[in-house]
Amino acid sequence: MATVEQHKVIDSRGSFCPGPITDLFKAYRSSQLGDVIELLATDPAAKADVTAWVQKSGNELVDIIDEQGYIRIVVKITKKRS
Amino acid sequence: MQRVVVVGSGDGGTFTANLLASELRDEIHGGLASVQLIGEHLHHPFQPGNLDIAFKGASPDKYVKQETELLRKEVEFIQDPAVKIDFGARCVSTKGGRALVYDFLVIATGAVADPSKIPGLAQGAMNFHTGGRDSQRIWESLQTFKEGTVIVAIAGTPHKCPPSPNEAAFMLDDFFRKRGIRDKVKIRFLTPYPRPYPAEKISHVVEPMFQEKDIQVSTFFNVDSVDPAERKIYSLEGEAFYYDLLIAVPPHHGADVIVDSGIGDQEGYIPTDKGTMKVQGQERVYAIGDATSIPVSKSGVVAHLQSVVVAHNIVAEMQQSPDLLEYNGRINCPMEVGSRKAIFVSATYTSPPTDQTPSMIKYFMKRSFAMIYWRALNGSLERIFDVFFGQTRFPATNQAESQNQLVEVKAAQGDKKIA
Repeated sequence: MATVEQHKVIDSRGSFCPGPITDLFKAYRSSQLGDVIELLATDPAAKADVTAWVQKSGNELVDIIDEQGYIRIVVKITKKRS
Repeated sequence: MQRVVVVGSGDGGTFTANLLASELRDEIHGGLASVQLIGEHLHHPFQPGNLDIAFKGASPDKYVKQETELLRKEVEFIQDPAVKIDFGARCVSTKGGRALVYDFLVIATGAVADPSKIPGLAQGAMNFHTGGRDSQRIWESLQTFKEGTVIVAIAGTPHKCPPSPNEAAFMLDDFFRKRGIRDKVKIRFLTPYPRPYPAEKISHVVEPMFQEKDIQVSTFFNVDSVDPAERKIYSLEGEAFYYDLLIAVPPHHGADVIVDSGIGDQEGYIPTDKGTMKVQGQERVYAIGDATSIPVSKSGVVAHLQSVVVAHNIVAEMQQSPDLLEYNGRINCPMEVGSRKAIFVSATYTSPPTDQTPSMIKYFMKRSFAMIYWRALNGSLERIFDVFFGQTRFPATNQAESQNQLVEVKAAQGDKKIA
């Protein structure tokens, strides 16, 4: 039976480095291939940190959107050791 | 009668109980108040000493005292672990069958380092986060280590003492240089963070020193599992490294009593107001130190500074005073960087760590704290700490006229009596 892909929203607004990237890793740990994780952050360093992580890990950066007062970073899990 | 129950006899719980006993001394002797401290162990360790045990061969006995030696006589110490906290009934139940009803509750149950959360970690790795005896096992292993690869890994976040993995790598470098075998030993540092230390300014100090000392770093390494037979550690991202000796910071979670009572988050940490330290949604219930879900370092200094705020706020509430205080997120974590030098990772909620230069003075300041820790637990060094730490607390936001005014916690309590 096929697994259902999940869409998780992680709200790290108000948290500073390493808060957002740590929250993303917690979601990554419990995710499956195909899941989409949406990270909301106010720390501007989250953009560079998440971008560097997807480049190294081989996961997919779907979008980075500057919302009013925060950043929305969307990542699709395409690589994870199982 | 105002009954204060403090759950957990680590740094935060012991210090809070002593502060309250000091502030409420007359009321306790007059039968108007009580302070009960519930703890599991009679022995109280100085946990930062684990690094010295693991990498310098110190005896675990050097860093342990009896809890009863550390408490003011007005504190009733109950050596009987709490198994259930019932906010509705305002009652703490213990393993031994006691039911302690409280008017005020302080939860200081700490965090638990748990290697079992990562497959193979307990069998394949050693660590210095689960006590003096486990730290001593590292020292014993180092005595027979002649050549090969030593890996220091962070296998879960958050964890106690954020600088400790970096310190371990630096101390290993020192150890192997002194033994004259550094050229035969490869030291590798695995971290889930984007850089060798999570705070960028501190990483600017650590990274060149790691390069200079040939400590190799792999970032974005979220530990997935360990294969003790193959001597390999794997990441979720798909990397793998061989080791001859693996020293790993285990994943941490909240105490069993928090999980079993259903009062924590998914990881067993207690949602707490980061200023007043009140447990969210509860009246006259506070949490401090590693037990909370506040995004701040899990360290003894943090628990200590939060204890001052909580003890003040409890006394204020007893006196029906509106003058509550808020903790400002101050952290102050010393980090040994080898060659008898250290830095201090200092920050608040609103001020990130700044640039640092390693120095021998900071190293000796760190070493001296190990000697004064026991006295610090009874509150007799607070005036010195107030000078050293500066502003760590403010009037609570809803009543503060100015956030820029330093508050002397114990000032102006004068003749007030418990309501």
